[in-house]
Amino acid sequence: MANKVAIVGVAQNAGCESKDNYYDQAYQVTRELLDKTGLKKDDIGTFISASSDIFHGGISCANAYYWETTGAFLKNGSRQDGESLFALFYGAMRIMSGHYDTALVIALCKGSENPSNESCTLMYADPFYQRGVGLNETLAAALQMKLYMKKSRITAEQCAKVAVKNLGNALGNPYAHRKGRYSVEDVLKSELVADPLTELQVAPKSEGIVAMLLASEEKAKKITKKPVWIKGFGSSLDSYILGDRDLLNGQLRNAANRAYKMARITDPGKQIDLAEISEPYAFQELLWMEDLGLCSPGGGGKMIDSGKTEKNGALPINPSGGVLANNPYVSRGLQRAVEAVLQMRGEAGERQVEKRVKTALAHGTHGFAGQCHAVAVLGR
Amino acid sequence: MARPVGIIGTGQTKHGKRMDVCYPELVREAVMTVFAETGIDPGDIDGVVSGTMPSMMEGIALTHFYFADAMQASGKQILKTETCGSTGVSIAHTAYYWVASGMADLVLAVGHEKMNEGDSQATMTTVAEPFYQRFFIAGAPGVFSMQSQMWTDRYGIPEDKLRDAAAYISVTHHNSAFDNPYAHIKIRVTMDDVKNARIITYPVRLLDVCPNSDGACAVIFASDKMIRKLGKKAAWVKGVGYSGEEYYFGDSDKAVWQAAIQAAKQAYKQAGIRNPRKELDVAEVYNPFTYQEMLFYECFGFCDFGQAPDLVLKGTFGRKGELPCDPSGGTLCTNPIGATGLIRTAEAALQVMGKAGDHQVPGAKLALAHAMGGVDQFNGIIILGSEK
Repeated sequence: MANKVAIVGVAQNAGCESKDNYYDQAYQVTRELLDKTGLKKDDIGTFISASSDIFHGGISCANAYYWETTGAFLKNGSRQDGESLFALFYGAMRIMSGHYDTALVIALCKGSENPSNESCTLMYADPFYQRGVGLNETLAAALQMKLYMKKSRITAEQCAKVAVKNLGNALGNPYAHRKGRYSVEDVLKSELVADPLTELQVAPKSEGIVAMLLASEEKAKKITKKPVWIKGFGSSLDSYILGDRDLLNGQLRNAANRAYKMARITDPGKQIDLAEISEPYAFQELLWMEDLGLCSPGGGGKMIDSGKTEKNGALPINPSGGVLANNPYVSRGLQRAVEAVLQMRGEAGERQVEKRVKTALAHGTHGFAGQCHAVAVLGR
Repeated sequence: MARPVGIIGTGQTKHGKRMDVCYPELVREAVMTVFAETGIDPGDIDGVVSGTMPSMMEGIALTHFYFADAMQASGKQILKTETCGSTGVSIAHTAYYWVASGMADLVLAVGHEKMNEGDSQATMTTVAEPFYQRFFIAGAPGVFSMQSQMWTDRYGIPEDKLRDAAAYISVTHHNSAFDNPYAHIKIRVTMDDVKNARIITYPVRLLDVCPNSDGACAVIFASDKMIRKLGKKAAWVKGVGYSGEEYYFGDSDKAVWQAAIQAAKQAYKQAGIRNPRKELDVAEVYNPFTYQEMLFYECFGFCDFGQAPDLVLKGTFGRKGELPCDPSGGTLCTNPIGATGLIRTAEAALQVMGKAGDHQVPGAKLALAHAMGGVDQFNGIIILGSEK
């Protein structure tokens, strides 16, 4: 990578419904980040936010609303829509271009003020063919899960184990929205949402304002003793019509390969110490692990059975509880990166894993059955 | 400045009321045009930047999904940039930084809007929050009329002169639109037509306002290395500026408008421009309202504050003036909002590449493109030059 970019500070708020209004929440997280890094608003070079109008409480042009609350007053900035890891990439690019030496990246979503994720994601469907049949992200995921179980011989129990693991991990995460000790039976017997998905296998709707400060190599050394470096990133977009796509051979491999090439990762299963994967539907953690090369193709089920992906396993996946525990839709990708940073800095509190984390992966996804993926590789 | 980045080609749809095509077809028309124009194969594109107005205006959310195939973006890296009305210039900025970062050699930027299938004014009313502002900020004209009044009052501009200057701008741009094959509104109007047009929100009259257009624009940004390899002529990015201010309309001074002043300052500094009126050869100012266009001239340092109406009437910013502004007919004649800032960028690129056809400003070497958005809140600038 030409110019190195570091993550020098992170801040986030809790995912449960808050009595604080959007403005206050956005201000609090920005303030916390500035205080942690010892910088003032005017020290920051550029501001990149992530938000989506469909997840913005009935207010259009989301970025207009929170601009000055997040410190961007009279600053050069921009906004990414849909996926907050895009904002991380764009912030990094602005630093790599040499124009700026710091970038504040912030993702905002006040889930409690929006309709259900199903209602919001129904609006991804085109108004002529797909919306009329009620296609939304949950229904698309249910179709994908059926296909996955059939073609890769993944069992309902193996899918449920992801929810058991992640909701259990979330007990150690003060920011998580949903948490608890559940059995595989609890998960499978929870209310049926869209066959074969049951309620505990579907992510909740959470709040989430997540911020991070990026800095150039030179600047990073002045701000922190524990910089986390952005080693690689990549994204990929799939075709639109669900029926045109192979739902088990999506674009995640493509996105991951781009990030791996940049980070010089040749054997992800060995070189990556920990991964925070966006799994809004439990089975997707298994499928995405395969696509990320963290296990063999079709090996997702065996991987969860082996216990390797447990918090203190050989390759911890979602020690934070993941998206199943906390789902501030737009912010969830950046939140994965924040959690990876906390693990690498040894600041993850009760959810800190035992093994030493040198290289970690953060993943974000949005769209029907993962139409779009974004992957970041971070390192110490 | 960072690594040199240039624009190597532009594609526009024929803008207007395009009921002959659906939204993805409209996007595809612009995208295929830029590929045909440059001879670039879609497979060679490293990344795609897409952007538009809010979902309420589109009738569909997160439009990069819907347009993945139309943009030839399947299997590509993607960024989705949205900053309200300034989206078009923000898309151009994103593509610029992407290439300047060294992470890509060829980036396709696509902006689009099909306004005749939505309700733009209802959507813009929802940009204001539902507690205080929404009740009295009805669509765009309300906000921009208040801004015009603030500016007129501040500099004591006589009403007759103001109306003459606004009408002059309207007549000039409507005439220019005839020279632009892509422009939407092509009507001949007189000074009297403009001054006597139906009032929308005082002082803004019908012919002082842009239309609702359907349109898309696609622009390819390339690295220095790639431009040399392809042996292409380019419009080089000389400066980028962006600035945003308070959300609450009444919180800031809209006459001496800091968001506009600062955005221009940033871009001028990078481009080494000290006297914009003298050094720039052409400007594509985002002008959905005639009155606001004059305010932009002042904020961008084209003239002193309060001076714009006099200079407009002298022809300083006309097609044959010292600094021609919006020779394409501008936003006043064509406004597919999510595409508009990128159209301004494309038009500036065409000018410095000498490819603007009938609306070419002879010998243009340095051009400014601009877009504005939010609750009268954001301004973005990009400066393009014929020389690296």
